[in-house]
Amino acid sequence: MMLLAVLLAVPTVLTAVYSLHDVPASGSSFGPFVGIENYTIIFSSPVFWRSVQVTLTFSIGFVVLSTLIGLAMAMLLNQRFIGRGLARALLIIPWATPWLVIGILWKWFADGSVGGLNAVLLMLGLSDTYHPFLSDPNTALPITVIAAVWRQASFAGILLLAGLQSLPEELYEAAQLDGANWWQRFTNITLPWLKPVLITVTVFNVIYAFLQFDVVFAMTQGGPGDTTQVLSVLIYRQLFVNTNIGLGSALAVILGVVALVGGLMIVKMFYRREAL
Amino acid sequence: MKTTNTTGGIGSLNRRSFLKASGASALAATIVPGLMTGTANAAYSGTLDMLAWDFQPDTIKSLVGEWTAAGNPAVNVAVIPNLGYTPALQTRLRGGDKIDLYYNFAYNSQKFINEGWAKTLNGLPGVNDMIADMFESARGRHVNAAGDIISAPYFSAVHMLHYNEKYLADAGLAVPTNLKEIYDASKALSTTTPAPYVAYWVKEFCEEYLHTYLLNEGITAFDTAGQPVFADDPKTVGVFEWWQTMYQEGLAPKSLLTDDPGKLSNEMAQGNAAFYVLHHYFLTSIRSLEGPQSANVRTAPAGPTTLQIGEVLQMGQSDSEDERAAAWDLMKYYGWKNTDGKFKVFNQWAKAAGLAAPYAGFFTDPEVIASFPDYYDLAMLSDTFATKSNVVPARTLPWYPDFQAKVGDIVHALLLGQATPGKTVEDLTAAVKGAHGGRTL
Repeated sequence: MMLLAVLLAVPTVLTAVYSLHDVPASGSSFGPFVGIENYTIIFSSPVFWRSVQVTLTFSIGFVVLSTLIGLAMAMLLNQRFIGRGLARALLIIPWATPWLVIGILWKWFADGSVGGLNAVLLMLGLSDTYHPFLSDPNTALPITVIAAVWRQASFAGILLLAGLQSLPEELYEAAQLDGANWWQRFTNITLPWLKPVLITVTVFNVIYAFLQFDVVFAMTQGGPGDTTQVLSVLIYRQLFVNTNIGLGSALAVILGVVALVGGLMIVKMFYRREAL
Repeated sequence: MKTTNTTGGIGSLNRRSFLKASGASALAATIVPGLMTGTANAAYSGTLDMLAWDFQPDTIKSLVGEWTAAGNPAVNVAVIPNLGYTPALQTRLRGGDKIDLYYNFAYNSQKFINEGWAKTLNGLPGVNDMIADMFESARGRHVNAAGDIISAPYFSAVHMLHYNEKYLADAGLAVPTNLKEIYDASKALSTTTPAPYVAYWVKEFCEEYLHTYLLNEGITAFDTAGQPVFADDPKTVGVFEWWQTMYQEGLAPKSLLTDDPGKLSNEMAQGNAAFYVLHHYFLTSIRSLEGPQSANVRTAPAGPTTLQIGEVLQMGQSDSEDERAAAWDLMKYYGWKNTDGKFKVFNQWAKAAGLAAPYAGFFTDPEVIASFPDYYDLAMLSDTFATKSNVVPARTLPWYPDFQAKVGDIVHALLLGQATPGKTVEDLTAAVKGAHGGRTL
């Protein structure tokens, strides 16, 4: 209990208190109490609202793709085929790779001159020229989402695969005897069985989405312009570049609340459906 | 009257009088190098703590190890990645970590003094001589407006135009000397080299290019009070028009907004680009890549003025005077000369990557000259440091990091066609005023 208080409660409360002060960069004191002034500055800034828009777009793409691709991979790896053990082992690799490394890898993969992604698209005939994905405001955000999803989907896949492996084969066999097709088996057996795991996975995905920093920073530093400037990048800038501890803490509080509410909404949504 | 002391000789000085006095003492400093570098500090028997970023960590440890082996205190060197260095350093300092000596970005230096994380070097033995030994152009980075000495050099560099000599000769073009000539030459070369101009235009570096391009056109960005006088200069809009045109017309690759400098060096080495503006030492990386065009890449003389950059060493909070004295001895060795009057550390960086020191004597030292490959025109480089470069003293002011962080967003909007050159001037001016005002996003 004491450990929890030290590791969780103290930093959380301290951040909330900081957000109400104009804290000196040295952290030698709380500094003058400014009430909700930091929040007023934030909410009246177009930079913040643009960042909120970017964060929401990123998060929606990240959560939906991570969950769906993770589910697809779990179902595939639950089938019997030669090399399944190796494929399952490979699933762990993205998850075991640090976020920052993922960002650096994908920065090169998506490079506009020498990137592998461009080479693949050219080979497949899907493009006739190299495209600067990360410098184009239309593609920079989607590419950062895909890079982050590449790691998170494997995490989702691992958890969902564990859930699938506990599903009794007899349920499928009985459904098949009753003439249920693939879609009916999926919606009436697989999904309900996976619901507890899916809730956990989705909540994790929501939290990771809102807190994502490393991949975006390594790939674009929030650019080009403000195209990929998610809230965590804005917090980094306020805390460590501008050393506006109070303002940065207020942004952190807002992001924390948004992530918490997002996670709770997911839980509530799943359980409401279950109640219906 | 900011400083008064009896040991260092700075006394009650503003920057102008201090710099004049420094110039006058330069000759004496050159004659008696032993006096200015200090000797092994026997009074302190503990271990010094030093923090650096991870450019050649083994070399850092080896250089510091040599200093210790000469009878100086042991040094505990911690090395952390350059990416995220400032957050890590600030976190340690805020948490009460005692670091005697650390690398810092010049734009943080005054701020760190103000926050009590770094000490001025005022009054330390030989510090005036160190400043006097510098190019006058470099002193504004290390001496603030009140005359306080806030840092020593870690390395220095100047923004230069690197060009492919063969490409220009084949096209019958002269080496461009200003922005318009760069545009014209790029346009002419674009028939054979589609996007001939490259530069490190990622968000974090746009601020350096802002100054480089403004200085190229003879525009001073800030006055001594840090006011944005570039906004009043009618030529400023022209600079932004040029910048936007280079990108919008495809004379610079579209990928520049997120490209790494290593990749850009390779573009020059492979012959995919004909011009590359960045620190002078990138010539080393272009040449060492040994691409088909590496040997044809040269450095052009700077225009009227270019940006001189440099990162710094700052002195942290030492527990005692003896420890502070020992840390200063290490700082002198690392950021100036060793006890033999040699640019021991700087020479190592010159060998490693072509980095320079902001000292005139550095460029005439036979050992240093031998360390630079033949393709460097050291006379031109020295002249650029001496007479054709500006450190933009406002870049060390405490509000500056706030402004710097916003320049990338504003310039990228210009390049992407989301803002006009006129709007860019307005946005940059507003960013300066916001930074002066304190808390803004």
